[in-house]
Amino acid sequence: MTSEAIVLAAVLTFSALGAAAAILLRDVLNAIIAFAAFSFGIATVWVLLAAPDVALTEAAVGAGITTVFFLVTIAKTVRPGGERLFERIEWRSVAVVAILSGALLATVGSLPAVGAADAPVATSPVTEYYLANAYSETGVENAVTAVLAAYRGFDTFGEATVVISAGVAVLLVLRQEAYV
Amino acid sequence: MAVSGLLQTVLLGAAAAFVVFAVVLVYRIMAGPTMQDRVIAVNGIGTNAVVVLALLAAALDRPGFLDIALVYGLLNFLMSIAISKFSVERGGVI
Repeated sequence: MTSEAIVLAAVLTFSALGAAAAILLRDVLNAIIAFAAFSFGIATVWVLLAAPDVALTEAAVGAGITTVFFLVTIAKTVRPGGERLFERIEWRSVAVVAILSGALLATVGSLPAVGAADAPVATSPVTEYYLANAYSETGVENAVTAVLAAYRGFDTFGEATVVISAGVAVLLVLRQEAYV
Repeated sequence: MAVSGLLQTVLLGAAAAFVVFAVVLVYRIMAGPTMQDRVIAVNGIGTNAVVVLALLAAALDRPGFLDIALVYGLLNFLMSIAISKFSVERGGVI
């Protein structure tokens, strides 16, 4: 096992424990704190998988913005009380999650290895077309940006629409006086 | 500047040790017993995150990872302030 794999194993252990804490803690504020801790594990996993842009997003969104949003939400709503520290476990839900996780894990074996030369994404003619023509066809300096903003423009447009609708909905809800 | 094999192993080992410290802090988040314990624990985890990301940036020779450490350090402070303010003022977050 390489040293990097040891760090990855430690970070994944941390993420699993943080996620378990976020799920099991009964009080919502405690769960929010555990979720903020969990985001550290995920951001470090992205760094170890050499995806620093995703890690930066996770650090900004997971640690900062979602925590503040969740706090605003529970400030405006009623929190369930109770003496218990941990939530009771619903075994039927656990069974559903286990079946879904098992079905997803069963597909991992057919994925190509990380960085494999014969992976479809490396050998596909679509990739060759983008790499050969992206700069001349779109006039964008970055191939990823060219795919996102030009070749997949409608998809990105739909995503932007979803984000704007969600923002408008949040602003509308926050302006109400009463919260049911 | 490329990092030599031994130095890389030491840096990655230190990063793994700091992650183990963060795992210990998860126990404090779970057990509590008060809100202050949990806020301090999550703040400590965030500080660990900055150290781990800086060590990984040095070990893997990717200075760009330091930006993530900076963002995490700043937002970690903001998050602790937000949670503290919420628990003191019961609802005043921003």
